Amino acid sequence: MHDRTLHIQLGIGAIVAAAFLLLVAIPVWVSSPSNVPNIILSPLFWPWALAGLTGITGFGMILTSIRQPAATKPEVCDVDDAPKAWGRLASIAAVMAVTMLMLPRIGMVWTSMLVFAVTAFLVRTNHPRIALTSAVLVPLVLYAFFAHVAGVAVPQGDFVRLP
Amino acid sequence: MSFIDNLMMGLSMVANVGSFLALGTGVAVGVFAGAIPGMSATMAVALTLPFTFALQPITGILLLLGVYKGGIFGGSIPAILIKTPGTPASSATVLDGYPLAEMGQAGKALGMALWASCTADLISNLALILFAGFLASFALSFGPPEFFTLMLFSLTIIAGVSGESLLRGALSAMLGLLLATVGLDLIYGTNRFTFGNANLMGGLNFIAVLIGLFAIPEIIAMVWNPKVFDGQKRSMGKSWVSFADYRRCFKSIVRGSFIGVFLGAIPGIGAAPSAFLSYSEARRTSPNRDKFGKGELEGVAAAEAGNNGVAGATLIPLLALGIPGDVITAIIIGAFMIHGLQPGPMMFILNADIIYALFIGLIVSSVFLFFIGSVAIHGFKYVADIPRGVLFPAVLVLCIFGVFAVNNSIFDVGVMFAMGWVGYFMLRYRIPAAPFLIAFILGPLLEDNFRQAMLMSGSSPVILFRGPITWFFWALTVITVFAIIRAGIKATRRQGPLKVESQT
Repeated sequence: MHDRTLHIQLGIGAIVAAAFLLLVAIPVWVSSPSNVPNIILSPLFWPWALAGLTGITGFGMILTSIRQPAATKPEVCDVDDAPKAWGRLASIAAVMAVTMLMLPRIGMVWTSMLVFAVTAFLVRTNHPRIALTSAVLVPLVLYAFFAHVAGVAVPQGDFVRLP
Repeated sequence: MSFIDNLMMGLSMVANVGSFLALGTGVAVGVFAGAIPGMSATMAVALTLPFTFALQPITGILLLLGVYKGGIFGGSIPAILIKTPGTPASSATVLDGYPLAEMGQAGKALGMALWASCTADLISNLALILFAGFLASFALSFGPPEFFTLMLFSLTIIAGVSGESLLRGALSAMLGLLLATVGLDLIYGTNRFTFGNANLMGGLNFIAVLIGLFAIPEIIAMVWNPKVFDGQKRSMGKSWVSFADYRRCFKSIVRGSFIGVFLGAIPGIGAAPSAFLSYSEARRTSPNRDKFGKGELEGVAAAEAGNNGVAGATLIPLLALGIPGDVITAIIIGAFMIHGLQPGPMMFILNADIIYALFIGLIVSSVFLFFIGSVAIHGFKYVADIPRGVLFPAVLVLCIFGVFAVNNSIFDVGVMFAMGWVGYFMLRYRIPAAPFLIAFILGPLLEDNFRQAMLMSGSSPVILFRGPITWFFWALTVITVFAIIRAGIKATRRQGPLKVESQT
């Protein structure tokens, strides 16, 4: 992406984020006692100040982008097949979401084995056999270390429990 | 007893197989634990503590100090090899260490990290021995206003790690400062962006944010475009760090060590800000400043010197005043107490032999760190040889285990994933991650000290200018900001015509 486009997009994003913080997020999700003697001691002061500075940074980005020359070269996508790339990106997002759901249910070891195998598939590994073997071994070794050496209560899940 | 008597007594306590074995084992355990993301030096020291109960006081404390020192260095190994800092202290090492590994110079980066760590460790230990009393009294004069001005000055580091655009760096820092406000308010205990979730009341877990920001975006980037990494595997590289490299970086190492000593002596700051400040100063003064962030050996040296310089110095307030400088020294003070020792001024009178034995042990630990660190580098070098298609899924699984282990919290794993997407967005939009991290570390310190200062003064800002220390940091901040603005204007003037040429 060209610098000018990048700065305009980021600048607009920063201003929108600042407006959202000032108008919605801070009034709703930051609470302050009513008897605060001075605004600078209030829990609201810092988020307000930061939201304001974010907005100013956004304006700064837009202003600098105006001074930059417009790009004449067309944008080039960094992947050959963009729809497939977006599909892979959606898949890794789904893997992360499913991981969060599965961790307490089937346990960290089994979830990690699946995560390893699916991620290796998504990154199109050239060593599928090694990847599959590692998908089984790496979580088991990590479990042995964290559970039995470091004394971490690794989630075991409701089905198959490891010693 | 005279100095020589105390020294001899101390030597007799350390010069035995048990103490040397404890130190060696401690350093080895520390390096290994530091090299595993999520197993921070703090956790390693805490896990080792029960093993010291049955040992002699000096042997047990040396074991813990070995783990501490090894842990701080160990964090640099995954930071360089897989862009996953093993400890928060090594987050600055990522900036140049990982690009060097990408260029096939992982061996050189790891070697320099080791040399810089050992040098800084030695300087820090010597500072502890020579200036403990002076530095402790200096550190005691730091109140909230002094802390605030120090933090404000430290935030100017952001300019040094913002890369090609200062505004993008500022935006990144704002995001970091905003996320640092999540949790219960320190003074009034009210909720800020907790959304009624108890997991957010303590704020976002630092390790989860750190790993999410650095390691996960690399994995997502590989998923987006696996072809770039197709069958790619790195090697340690034939090149190893040479004495000429060390000599070239020596100034930055010494400067970083002193920054570490200075910040380490002040309770509550920690190694990560020191590493970033050292890195920023090295970049500011280096003739190769343009190469920083792209794989400059001096950047690795400065970051490692900064974080290891803290290790010995955090013992200054501990031994001289009985005040723990950070979480690790708080655990170590527990070990002292378990063995019936009370750190503080009286310990220099009542247990001078133990104090001198610790000093000697600390010096020896630097030598152990050098040899054990060298072995560890050669042991971990195989990580660099693993094909990306196997390494990256393994890193993802390691991150899940590591982040969970910090607080036994699945929620933290979710935070790591969320931060991974934030980091990927930042990568795509060329927003540097380092300012985010610095702001996230310094943000709470800045805000808390500012509000405490205001509480002390009844909201009068005059307190922020109350003495020579505050004036010193204000002056440094103003000079640095002036220099940044001047450099920015110069760069804009210089690059303007070049950009027009390159974009048309």
